[in-house]
Amino acid sequence: MDKSKIVFHSIALITLVVVFLFFWYLIENTHTEIGQQPTANSQQPTADSHLYLLLPISLLAILLGVACAFYLEERLPPTNWFRRLIESEVAIFTGIPSLLYGLLAVEIFVSYTLGSSGQGWGVLFYAEVLTFIVLVMPLTIRTTQAALRSVATPIRESAYALGASQWQVLSNQVVPLAFPGILAGCCRAMSRALAAAALLMGIHTWGYTHETAISAGIHSRYVLLLVAALLFSTFFSFLKENPT
Amino acid sequence: MAAKNYNIETENLNLWYGDFQALIDVNVKILAGEITSLIGPSGCGKSTLLRCFNRVNERYGNVTTKGKIQVLGKNIYDADVSLPELRKTVGMVFQRPNPLPISVYENILFGLRIHSPLRSLTRAESDAIVEEALTSVFLWDALKDKLKVRATSLQLEQQQKLCIARLLPLKPQIILMDEPCSALDAKGTLAVEELMSYLAGTYTFLIVTHNMAQARRVSSECIFMFLGELIEHRNTQALFETPHNSKTADYVQMRYA
Repeated sequence: MDKSKIVFHSIALITLVVVFLFFWYLIENTHTEIGQQPTANSQQPTADSHLYLLLPISLLAILLGVACAFYLEERLPPTNWFRRLIESEVAIFTGIPSLLYGLLAVEIFVSYTLGSSGQGWGVLFYAEVLTFIVLVMPLTIRTTQAALRSVATPIRESAYALGASQWQVLSNQVVPLAFPGILAGCCRAMSRALAAAALLMGIHTWGYTHETAISAGIHSRYVLLLVAALLFSTFFSFLKENPT
Repeated sequence: MAAKNYNIETENLNLWYGDFQALIDVNVKILAGEITSLIGPSGCGKSTLLRCFNRVNERYGNVTTKGKIQVLGKNIYDADVSLPELRKTVGMVFQRPNPLPISVYENILFGLRIHSPLRSLTRAESDAIVEEALTSVFLWDALKDKLKVRATSLQLEQQQKLCIARLLPLKPQIILMDEPCSALDAKGTLAVEELMSYLAGTYTFLIVTHNMAQARRVSSECIFMFLGELIEHRNTQALFETPHNSKTADYVQMRYA
């Protein structure tokens, strides 16, 4: 292993550890039950509890995105209509700034929560989930596809010509080579999701009661989320620099 | 005259890329244990024909093949033909050396590993296989201390020889070569040609080349193709000195003028 690789990997690892410590801190410091009704004073815990569900969901969305990219890139021929359809949709969705997703989500949140019958919260949660999936999946699909494509054709060709099956080509050659790229893509998607979460939480809470937000320490959480997003992008950039 | 032994026989082989017909009624018989070269202008279907014989063509999609290809007496489009087995028997060397981005040692074993159950090779066996394969391509002395080096960091000539060497543990009968020397300098070309002559007899070689001199130096049989059709297939010397077909004559002489 050459030195630059060790340096890159350790920087990436340290960043990742920091990010996870931060999450641990965030989760340890809040104790709320999911689905709690919002009152004038409990705005912040509810927003937080949503956040904790959203993170695993975005992770799931990332995994789903990776699987989807594998299917599109490796199983379907480039001429397939379904692949072309999905790829153009993905291109459009990745082009939309996350701010617009945030605004879209806030629009839904606000219209439901202002109805304030209390039942709005369930819908709100699904709105958040959908926003996250739409935000995270296209980016993951796109970066994973790019990483898979970056594995040079001669490498695949030579493995196939030696009689390897598609599974062997993928597992022995393509995935190990594309892995840093795929991971980088996931981190990028994750950082985008975190930034959007900060955005949502910020707008969402401030829109309610400015005083409650300050007393509940929402501001510091908001800043922390943004910092986490930044850390994730740092992690991503180091992975991306990693020479293959 | 003794009955000749053919490794590859095609019957009315037609191939289309989409609507474009790349091979038209090709009937060819490739002699076992000899070096046969395929020559012709670019886009005449030489590489396409070559790629038919281990069915790597199919990977590009949009390819339609009609006709019969018999490799070692077996039609390779039969339903019971296994692609891994076929590609094990019919090895291929590409235009640009394309060793896998792993160590020299692992490159040679890659083919064997994918064709045998996990961990069925002992350390001693693999060492012996690597040494034998590298020795037969005259690389052992140069590389015996560099077995752990990434194969992609070798010189091009060594990479190309390595690409030949990694086929040998699979015990192929036929080796297809698609312009194997076009990325090499004169010295590398000569080395690969010497290697082919040395290995001919044990293996059947089929080589696509743009270099007439190379076809003449290295092959005993020569096939001239033009616009997807097989024009002439004869003994190399005869084809170059007394071409029967006027197209062959034009091509051969234009290059020599």
